[in-house]
Amino acid sequence: MTFLVALPVLLPLLAAALSLVAGRSPRVQRLLGVVVLTAIAAVAATLLLRADSEGPVVLRLGGYGPPFGITLVADRLASLLLLVSALVTLAVLVFSIGQRITDFGRRTASTAFHPMYLVLCAGVSMAYLTGDLFNLFVAFEIMLGASYVLITRRVTAERVRPSMTYVIVSLTSSLLFITMIALVYTATGTVNLAAMPEKIAALPAGVQSSLALFIVIVFGIKAALVPLHFWLPDSYPTAPAPITAVFAALLTKVGVYALIRTQTLVFVHEDSWAVLLGVALVTMIIGALGAIAQNDLNRMLSFLLVSHIGYMLFGLALFTVIGLAGVILYVVHHITVQGALFLVSGLVTRHTGTVSLQAMSGVARAYPLVAVLFAIPAMSLAGIPPFSGFVAKMALLQAGAEVGTAMAIAVTAGAVVTSLLTLYAVTKIWVGAFWGPPTEPLVDDDPNDDVTVGTGSTSSAMVGATGGLVLISVLIAVFAGPLADMSERAANDLLHDEGYRSAVLGEGNG
Amino acid sequence: MLVAILAHFALAAVLPLVARRYGRAAFVVGALAPAATLVYALARGGEAVSGAPPLETLAWAPVIGLEFTARFDELALLLILLVSGIGAVVLCYYSRYAKPDDHRTAARDSALLVTFAGAMLGLVLADDVISLYLFWELTTVCSFLLVGGDGVAKRLRTSATQALLVTTLGGLAMLLGLILLGTAAGTMRISEILADPPSGGIVTAALLLVLLGALTKSAQVPFHPWLPSAMVAPTPVSAYLHAAAMVKAGVYLVARFSPAFADHPAWWIPIVVCGLWTMLLGGFRALRQYDLKTLLAYGTISQLGFLMVMLGAGTWMSALAAGTLILAHGLFKSALFLTVGIIDKRAGTRDIRELSGLGRQWRGLTTLATFALMSMAGLPPLLGFIGKEVALEALFEGGTVDRLIGVGVAVGSVLTVVYSLRFLRGAFGTKPDMAPSAPVPCGRVMTGMVAVPSLAGLVLALAPSVIEPVETGYADRYGKDPGYHLALWHGITPALMISVGIIAAGVAVHRYAGVQRLGGYVPGPLRAQSWYGRSVEGLESLARGVTGRLQVGSLPVYLGVILTTLVVVPGAGLFSGDIDFGELRLFDNWLQVPLALLVLVAAATSLLARRRLTAVLLAGVVGYGIGAWFVVDGGADLALAQFLVETLTLVVFVFVIRRFPPRFIENKAYVGGRWVKAVIAGVAGTFVAVLAVLYSGYRGGIPEASRQYIERAEDETGATNVVNAIIVDFRAFDTIGEITVLAVAATGVASLILARSRRRNGTVGRPEPTEQDATDDTGTTETPEVRS
Repeated sequence: MTFLVALPVLLPLLAAALSLVAGRSPRVQRLLGVVVLTAIAAVAATLLLRADSEGPVVLRLGGYGPPFGITLVADRLASLLLLVSALVTLAVLVFSIGQRITDFGRRTASTAFHPMYLVLCAGVSMAYLTGDLFNLFVAFEIMLGASYVLITRRVTAERVRPSMTYVIVSLTSSLLFITMIALVYTATGTVNLAAMPEKIAALPAGVQSSLALFIVIVFGIKAALVPLHFWLPDSYPTAPAPITAVFAALLTKVGVYALIRTQTLVFVHEDSWAVLLGVALVTMIIGALGAIAQNDLNRMLSFLLVSHIGYMLFGLALFTVIGLAGVILYVVHHITVQGALFLVSGLVTRHTGTVSLQAMSGVARAYPLVAVLFAIPAMSLAGIPPFSGFVAKMALLQAGAEVGTAMAIAVTAGAVVTSLLTLYAVTKIWVGAFWGPPTEPLVDDDPNDDVTVGTGSTSSAMVGATGGLVLISVLIAVFAGPLADMSERAANDLLHDEGYRSAVLGEGNG
Repeated sequence: MLVAILAHFALAAVLPLVARRYGRAAFVVGALAPAATLVYALARGGEAVSGAPPLETLAWAPVIGLEFTARFDELALLLILLVSGIGAVVLCYYSRYAKPDDHRTAARDSALLVTFAGAMLGLVLADDVISLYLFWELTTVCSFLLVGGDGVAKRLRTSATQALLVTTLGGLAMLLGLILLGTAAGTMRISEILADPPSGGIVTAALLLVLLGALTKSAQVPFHPWLPSAMVAPTPVSAYLHAAAMVKAGVYLVARFSPAFADHPAWWIPIVVCGLWTMLLGGFRALRQYDLKTLLAYGTISQLGFLMVMLGAGTWMSALAAGTLILAHGLFKSALFLTVGIIDKRAGTRDIRELSGLGRQWRGLTTLATFALMSMAGLPPLLGFIGKEVALEALFEGGTVDRLIGVGVAVGSVLTVVYSLRFLRGAFGTKPDMAPSAPVPCGRVMTGMVAVPSLAGLVLALAPSVIEPVETGYADRYGKDPGYHLALWHGITPALMISVGIIAAGVAVHRYAGVQRLGGYVPGPLRAQSWYGRSVEGLESLARGVTGRLQVGSLPVYLGVILTTLVVVPGAGLFSGDIDFGELRLFDNWLQVPLALLVLVAAATSLLARRRLTAVLLAGVVGYGIGAWFVVDGGADLALAQFLVETLTLVVFVFVIRRFPPRFIENKAYVGGRWVKAVIAGVAGTFVAVLAVLYSGYRGGIPEASRQYIERAEDETGATNVVNAIIVDFRAFDTIGEITVLAVAATGVASLILARSRRRNGTVGRPEPTEQDATDDTGTTETPEVRS
């Protein structure tokens, strides 16, 4: 059974290689992608059931155990996120295939897209599953490498600069990441996450907190915490809708996951974490204000993404079972909802020919289905009951009130204010884009790039993929009970990590 | 009762299908849900007033405190009479009010109204704070969509948005308040919180937050302007949401929590102050309205203020008054709204300056409306009169504060009489200088629907014992029953005398013509509506200001912020504890000293270089210097790799740089920017170096992993070179990953080059993307190819 843990990484890598070879045969490429991502989802579901009933599934690669071999670990948290991510990447892939077929016909191959997309998925899976800090770095490199290609693919003159912002900031974060690993290895002599806490605990307090905060900054750049977030709203909105959707849904969340994993497993909770609460508050508010100031639909969604990363940091900084359960629920909810919103934005742009909220109007009347597909995730994002965002937010707010310190209450209040600001922003989108008299779509100003806008043509695959994501977000709310139970167990694992550590370190040095 | 709520939602889900086929008949189908609920609630009414109300729960996500609980007590029953009763009436009415061929609107509005009815039902039954909030927001969303309608007209959009934002502001504040309250009480069940109310500073804050929710939802000053704006909604929607049901939610919330907190100054003082202010301002503003519907909206605001005052007073008698008035107001106000709907629909206008002689044409409707108006003005023999009698009795029998409140209420009631008369004359009167409106039928079904609430106000007043158990049951939560009974006649009491005085004064003021000019005038700056506009404008400009200042769009600034944060945050963490550098050795080998100097000087000079080639060469010096260092430290193989990479990079750079301008483009706006960057880079580099030195002092000996690599390499992998063993065996998984990165980079470069050539061959002529676009004074043009 343990070999299953490697499949979510190896399958897409293998498929990527095949897909690259089959570059001239679009049907094979499409089939490979869909089959492999479906398989990952199935594996992830199996791992989740197994991890939930029997504890973490551990695979020692090459039979080499810690401290010098690499281990892959599928515990509840990792497999849950893996499952959701696989479903989202699948939906985005279907959307993307639908879009290309609509624009260029069935026979046009896209040599680079499919292999790179699969590599990206492999990187994401690896980041979730690895139990090794250096391997996590490799996972990030795979993921980022593929993302550089995806964001600069068919780049136009206007898109060069934002893409370079993305690439350079990401490279900086990679540089800091490898520096961080060097520092960690210097101080502890291990890169195995499960072996680290024991070594870290022996260090003086100042060293511990400087190391912990260094790691927060490294992953904070990826997760786009304020003030490390500036690159995100400048670069994401310029990519084609499916690319932005998968970046927004997953890449920042992998950063958040890495934060959760390292801060819970490796470090002990201390008072200096009040800093994290402060960062959470600032992230929520600055992001939401940024969203309100935008007229560009995608830029607004990107700022909202930043804002809601603040919620996840909030729950982590509280460091209680309910708080962490809230974070897990929030991540699961946010992956689906943010992905869905960017896909809807893709549909809207194709119908209106513009991303400017002032220029678009009347989408609800002309395309009622698109309006519904926007309304549900938008309300969910704003935390309007009874959707998934509400469920996750309730857990976080209650956790904040239970902790009850002045700072915790302040951030809880900030979270409520952010909800209102988010609602204001999505209402602006709704009122501006969906209500009002229907207008003629604007003509595509750049027919040569990857996105055909203003044609009004969408295929059932595109709408279906978006609908699929929306449906998942609704199901998250409907099955909030079992999901919350699972999240609570996962949160317990995080706070009492003996299970994880003994599963990884248990049987001696392989 | 939970089944009833769910039934509403299930029915709402299928109504669009019904409407697609049968059009506006969908409204009648929709009415089945509230009608059945009303019958069911009445059948089980005995249990509600029994003192041990039935409780139902449905788990959703209990781990995080999400569950639905419904508690069917007297207060819930009282509100269900309105929510379900008026709901059924309004839906039937709407089936005639709607345009026969507009299936789209019928589908949307019927589904939304039934959803709304379900949400209101859930709201009044909810016994835990989270269900309460859930249904509360659901009503807000329904209201947004119902007011906005098809959203084509700008007026609809702005009104819907205002209602949404104001009530959500309150709703979220309420949520925070309820959670704080629940946390302080240790339970999220409302009945348990009320049974053993918590106290303390946080509870005061919580109560104020909860009140904010109630005041916004029930359109109390200064949040009220959303309600008159929302009158752009179809009249049946207004009758239901803005008269009978949704605006009562705030009153209901206060009614729910008052028994436990009526003595808390943070609770009753704001309620009474805002309530009185609202009652007077609403009545005053109603005096000048020409639009019958807006007149009623201000009347509603005024009446809601009245209800708030009675609940804030917090005695047995005042609670009895509030309970009676909640019912009376729901009945007469919905009847009046439905009347306005008929006038608007059939006579083509609801402006009183254009209406004349309708009273003679529509005698039946006029009689029904007059009953409703009499109830509103507090005339016998109607339920409004009974309620007002109790209110006056409650206030004027109390202490000084109560009497002062009583005077305010009396003045407000005079205004109510005046605008009731204004409505009667304006809607149905025959104006001497105007031709009577053209005769049209007023519609039998719609008039019939007006009759239900209007006559209910009459019947209940004649037989008040029907509702007395409900009303006194609620009042009993405030104290002992003083033996008072609801009745039209209590003998000649002070309250009756005051009532007579109020009516006489009202008639007199109505006769005074100056009231037209004087009434309703509010100076511009004091208008609450302008404050709403300013708040939204302020929020927008704050957002623009903050974002404009932070999101400057400059990559060097972003990198500078990242590096600064890197130094400041972990630096602060480091100095929060003791640090000990231990024994420092300056160097192991004297050759390290000149090499270190070389690397440092080259790195520093490269920052200041103005020519690209110079910068690249200096960066090369840094690389070779480090390679030399490896040699000194005995890592010859490592040095070899380093020299190779360095040479290759240099060659690639030289090839690429030939296509660039020889000098960096100087940005004149950043004079001195170069030095700032140099300082940030220098400090960040030094900081990391300090960390490395410091951390290495805490490590005891060779790490376990390194030891094992050396020990086991040859035995287990057969490799004599440990590095090779690690790369291709021990940590081969990392290597697979790195190879993937390499392949990805190659694919990326190929795809960029292919895209370029494809574009060159393209038919659309447009400027080549120039390399300069990607280059600024950071001098970095790193692309994936360089990294691989």
